[in-house]
Amino acid sequence: MNYVIAIPLIPALAFAILAPLSGRSRNAAVPIAVGASVITLGLSIAAFLAVWPGGHEEALYHTSITFATIGSVKLAAGILLDPISATMLVVVTLVGAAVQVYSLGYMHRDERIGWYYAVLSLFTAAMLGLVLSDNFLQLYMAWEVMGLCSYLLIGFWHEQEAPRKASIKAFLTTRVGDIGFALALAVMYKTAGSFDFAVVLHDFAWAPGAATAVALLLLFGAMGKSAQVPLHVWLPDAMAGPTPASALIHAATMVAAGVFLVARALPIFEASGVALTVTMFVGITTALVGGLLASVQHDIKKVLAYSTISQLGYMFVALGAGGIVAGFYHLVTHAFFKSLLFLGAGVIIHAAHTQDMREMGGLAKKMPVTTVTFTIGSLALAGIFPFSGFWSKDEILTVLWHGEHYVVFVLALVAAFVTAFYVARLWFRVFSGPEQTSGLKEAHVEMLVPMSVLAAVTSVIGFGSPYFAEFLGHVGEWPAAAIALTSTAVAGLGLALGWWAYGRRNQVLNTRPLKSRAGFVYAALAQKLYFDLTYDYFIVRQYGRLAGALSEFDRTVVDGIVNGAGAIWRAGADVGALIDRVVIDGAVNGVATLVRAVGARVRRIQTGRVQSYQALMLAALVVLMLWFVVKGA
Amino acid sequence: MLLSAIVFLPLVGAIASALLPKERASAARWIAAAVTAVDLALVVWLLIGFNVAGGMQFVENRTWVVQVGIEYHLGVDGISLSMLLLSALLSLVAVVASWKQDTKPGAYFAMLMLLEVGMNGVFLALDFILFYVFWELVLVPMYFLIGTWGGPRREYASIKFFLYTLFGSVFMLVGIIALYLQGGTFDITALAGMGFPATFQWWVFAAFFLGFAVKVPVFPLHTWLPDAHVEAPTAASVLLAGIMLKMGTYGFIRIALPILPHAARQWSGFIAALAAISIVYGAALAFAQTDLKKLVAYSSVSHMGFVMLGIASLTPEGINGAVAVMFSHGIVTGMLFLLVGMVYERTHTRVMDDVTGLSAQAPVAAGLLAFASFASLGLPGLSGFVGEFLSLLGAWKSGIPAAWVVVAAIGVLLAAAYTLRMVQRVVLGTPSKAVEGIPDLNVREIAALLPLVALTLVVGIYWDSLLRYVDPAVRATLALMGGS
Repeated sequence: MNYVIAIPLIPALAFAILAPLSGRSRNAAVPIAVGASVITLGLSIAAFLAVWPGGHEEALYHTSITFATIGSVKLAAGILLDPISATMLVVVTLVGAAVQVYSLGYMHRDERIGWYYAVLSLFTAAMLGLVLSDNFLQLYMAWEVMGLCSYLLIGFWHEQEAPRKASIKAFLTTRVGDIGFALALAVMYKTAGSFDFAVVLHDFAWAPGAATAVALLLLFGAMGKSAQVPLHVWLPDAMAGPTPASALIHAATMVAAGVFLVARALPIFEASGVALTVTMFVGITTALVGGLLASVQHDIKKVLAYSTISQLGYMFVALGAGGIVAGFYHLVTHAFFKSLLFLGAGVIIHAAHTQDMREMGGLAKKMPVTTVTFTIGSLALAGIFPFSGFWSKDEILTVLWHGEHYVVFVLALVAAFVTAFYVARLWFRVFSGPEQTSGLKEAHVEMLVPMSVLAAVTSVIGFGSPYFAEFLGHVGEWPAAAIALTSTAVAGLGLALGWWAYGRRNQVLNTRPLKSRAGFVYAALAQKLYFDLTYDYFIVRQYGRLAGALSEFDRTVVDGIVNGAGAIWRAGADVGALIDRVVIDGAVNGVATLVRAVGARVRRIQTGRVQSYQALMLAALVVLMLWFVVKGA
Repeated sequence: MLLSAIVFLPLVGAIASALLPKERASAARWIAAAVTAVDLALVVWLLIGFNVAGGMQFVENRTWVVQVGIEYHLGVDGISLSMLLLSALLSLVAVVASWKQDTKPGAYFAMLMLLEVGMNGVFLALDFILFYVFWELVLVPMYFLIGTWGGPRREYASIKFFLYTLFGSVFMLVGIIALYLQGGTFDITALAGMGFPATFQWWVFAAFFLGFAVKVPVFPLHTWLPDAHVEAPTAASVLLAGIMLKMGTYGFIRIALPILPHAARQWSGFIAALAAISIVYGAALAFAQTDLKKLVAYSSVSHMGFVMLGIASLTPEGINGAVAVMFSHGIVTGMLFLLVGMVYERTHTRVMDDVTGLSAQAPVAAGLLAFASFASLGLPGLSGFVGEFLSLLGAWKSGIPAAWVVVAAIGVLLAAAYTLRMVQRVVLGTPSKAVEGIPDLNVREIAALLPLVALTLVVGIYWDSLLRYVDPAVRATLALMGGS
């Protein structure tokens, strides 16, 4: 089983080969990265099959190496292969390989394609290091490296201002969450004395207070990475990066790392209790806010971005209800269908030469493969049988129902309704209606194949749902009819409303009367519920002002005191010298002499005669050395 | 004799290059390169022969001034070894980076080598008088490097630097004399663990605190630093930030903690508070700067705050972290100052808005600048993270009020803010007028940077490459403090 170690190392090696090369040779080395991703996929599938059919508590493979020793404490990097990590391996490498192959077509004209692949490889390595981690410190470190890759890819086209700004916003916003993560590690270390899962999650008996502290701090970190309200603002802007990178990082894998973290740390959340409730509250708020905001976007990628935020919220809801299987399963299905949708969006954007859905339409006729695969992804997102999203959403609703979280259950249904609505809104605007772009044509085969693979996966994995629960060591069940029918009805209603508004007779509903009647609601949604404006005004600008004011304070007050003291000293020295000369008739006055001596030194330095002092120092040193040598001999 | 050789070999070089006739003065750089390279080789030799578990090693102890018990006493443990390596490496890098110095090169390189004598000496001295001599010796060449080869306000900056640090070290001298009168010796190792009365300890600690805190520098004693950095030539900036600041924190660990343990515990809350303030204050000021050198200078105030926080924690994690930050800050800030200097040589400006889009014009310089920036903002996998994380861990574990630790953690976010703002302007975007047409780094410049890049990676990935030397020494220090 030692080959598991190679899984994160192979893409890391690809990065190490590509990164130091110069531009042109790096571009030529792109096949190395793609090859690495394919090999990694193969090894991951092998690892997954080795774990299958799972169900056992013990990890199948575990190894670690110490990288830091502080007294008796050893910090180690480890590889832990259990059902959760094995599943994540396949998700990450399958989407990763799909994106890498797809990018061959999507990015082939970019002159920095080599750098793009280098960063993708580093990202893959970090993400795999994260999911295989056997401790929270390694998880955190990989987490941060992914943040770097996200930053680099969002700002990939850094000649333009928007990607530059979006990249910095993403890094800083997620780092706000990381403060929580880092402090969680500190609290964990102080209380449990370790970062290892084996100790922290199994052996150590958490007191509710400490558990709540650690869990909430971890949750805060997860909220940054997984773009949960109120730390979600970076993800829509992150769409400024290349679309396939968005598919991998900002839809399927990195943004799900927060969910993964909470899923891993769930025993601590359960020991706390309160933290579970908070998680559910954050999740449902995000699911609704994300869904509503997705419904008013015109940029196709931003619809998908807010949709991702909303779906991640769904996962948090499940985890908050203690439903690790449901939450984790939704992570898996979402990774496939959302990356599929992003890859499809990339094709659509290339074909339509715009990201604005109002300028699209009629794509279905000219782009059959894209249409079919995108439709599969859309139906999965909306939660329609038999596509994967139906199954995982259903499991979440079931968990909520059995957990007697009835309010949240209803709200989750509302979120499902909104989801179906914006899915229909997107689909009809893009694929039906009159063609608005001339020369539409289907994408290259290297882009269509990955999309087809993901579409196939999305179509079939739902049927594995009960086996997946057993794989994770839980009881597997087929969906209960009542809940399945309810959720399907809600989704159907949402789709119908979307069709009614955007799909009928190729006519788009005139929303102006609606907007004027519920103007403030629409305005609030169009302004992204004022999150960005608030942060920009109350945090970003105020910090800039504060920094400027402190800089002025430093110059005038802190340094002013220093310069003032210097001036007084010098004046004192002059006065001392005067007193000495005039009043004290050549006699040695202790105070004045001291003052004068220093004053004289000051003046001498200023007139540039420190050479004498230096000469003195040197001479003294040489004499002392000589003395030492003589004495020693 | 190995330690003496390491300390005084550069003195020979300094005298040789100072004595060069004017017309041959340019040969000084060869002398300097050879001497600093051999010195580094000696340190590496020392490193190979060093026993990680062996405590103070390669000790040289001879009577120097019998009448008052002053000794010529040198020794090396894991903490001083890491600083010594830093000093020797950065001295060589500084020489390579100033290869084109043709204003009075004889004197210039003599000063660089003299500086190395002082720095090496400070980290190896185990006798207070010897320590003090080296400590003061460092001031002189630095004063001249800034005052002679510096920028337009060099006179003001160099005098300020000189007097400010002198002001601090006068208090340190008082502390040394007080310890001598009480303990009857100048021997630092003998004074450790003597158990002086509490009140006495408190006052002596206060004196040492002033001496060391100015050097670090700790808020609000930091204003000499930005001025000195802005005016200093590149190599002097590298050594100033890379090594001289560490003399202050080294003093805390080597002297204040083991000799005055009781006072150290009393002072720890106060120091932690100042450290946390330094971290966010330095970061906020760095954010407000438009001059690249000032930005890096203020970022040093912020980073050194993490060192102080780790020291104040008085835990193994914290002090290991403090030394790790000292080491990492040395190499990373060294890289940053070198790169800013190299960019300045080409564009003749350090104003951020005038230097943009470096990656399109000079990809190697831009890539290395981005690399150093990410190391500086504490990205895991690079050296900056190691110490900052351990300092936070130690601080949280100790009795330091949680609020200060949280403030320090926020500093990590603020570090990302000022660093990325700089990267966004200087590295990314389209080239500005000043940047257009400039050549990328040459082989000599890359050679100066590469060892630092390598160390940043090695320490960042395999922490024990550094900690295996540091940790035993840290535990020995804490044992001298009597547990805790």
